[in-house]
Amino acid sequence: MTTVTPTSPAPPPTTTARRDDLGPLVRSAQRGDRLATDQLLDRLTPYVARLCGPIALADGPDATQEALIAVFRNLRQLKEPAALFGWVRAIAVREAVRVARAAARDLPAELADVPASGDPQLAADVQDVLARLSPHHRAVLVLRDLEGLDEHAVSALLGVPEPTVRTRLFRARRRFRKEWEA
Amino acid sequence: MNDHTGGAAWPVAELDPVRRLRVLAAATPGTTYGELVIDASVDEVWTVATDLERQMPLLINDIRSFTVTSSDVTGRPVEALARSPFGLRARFDIVHREQSCVMQSRFLVGGLAATAEGHDVTRFGFFGGLRIPGVRLVDRVFHPFLHHGAVERFAAQFRP
Repeated sequence: MTTVTPTSPAPPPTTTARRDDLGPLVRSAQRGDRLATDQLLDRLTPYVARLCGPIALADGPDATQEALIAVFRNLRQLKEPAALFGWVRAIAVREAVRVARAAARDLPAELADVPASGDPQLAADVQDVLARLSPHHRAVLVLRDLEGLDEHAVSALLGVPEPTVRTRLFRARRRFRKEWEA
Repeated sequence: MNDHTGGAAWPVAELDPVRRLRVLAAATPGTTYGELVIDASVDEVWTVATDLERQMPLLINDIRSFTVTSSDVTGRPVEALARSPFGLRARFDIVHREQSCVMQSRFLVGGLAATAEGHDVTRFGFFGGLRIPGVRLVDRVFHPFLHHGAVERFAAQFRP
């Protein structure tokens, strides 16, 4: 299935949720307990899907799958379970950008028609407007506006200088406003 | 949070049961994964798939019999006893989710999932293999032994 379903904006995992003691579960999964892996997968999937959806759009399911594969294949490298969500976020954004860029190369250019203004289907509009942005711009927008990270954190996570983050964010927001108000 | 969407929805991706199983399989060294599309509804496929006492010996060559020893309140098996052709026994813990199921014993692990792909068309996935230290090193040797042709044997049950 390769669908992306618009839903109400899911809140980011709360501080409480992030502080949930996932340590024992992570350690069991690291030791090869597949039922623990299964349970941890349940805990991480909504978060990864929420990050991959706006960046990879129609390829969100592929990006989510690839991000989770990368997470669980490398889980043994996670030394500190308390850092789990930050570590997962970095992998999810990287995979979402990679999958979206690969998919974009296969798309015909004429797909980028702007939807009519006043379309009542706001959720669909958000996807359409996001589709006008590059995967890198979407990643910056998601990390700043959906995840609430500051520019320094976004810069570190994406591996680009802070001025580049500021430029991408400025352009993404300007583009978003322009398309949204068109 | 600085929302440019006027409070409208950010798209959220979906991970269907078969994609989810691919993640588990990819994260489990020593296992192989197979999937195919079956011309039957997801309900039909899942009803057959969850008859574990019949399906597990079909899917995993190394299992001669698979006997459910405990079920949950809805009747879904949560524990089973498997016997190998050489008489070895293994106790399996089983976890069920929406159209997916994962199980493991001390030395074996397996999982199955089904996702509707259209009207009366279902994608079925299965993975299984060893769960022992150092299995990455013997991975290729054991794959065919464990469940060669597993999904094909499963799908054959839906052909007239």
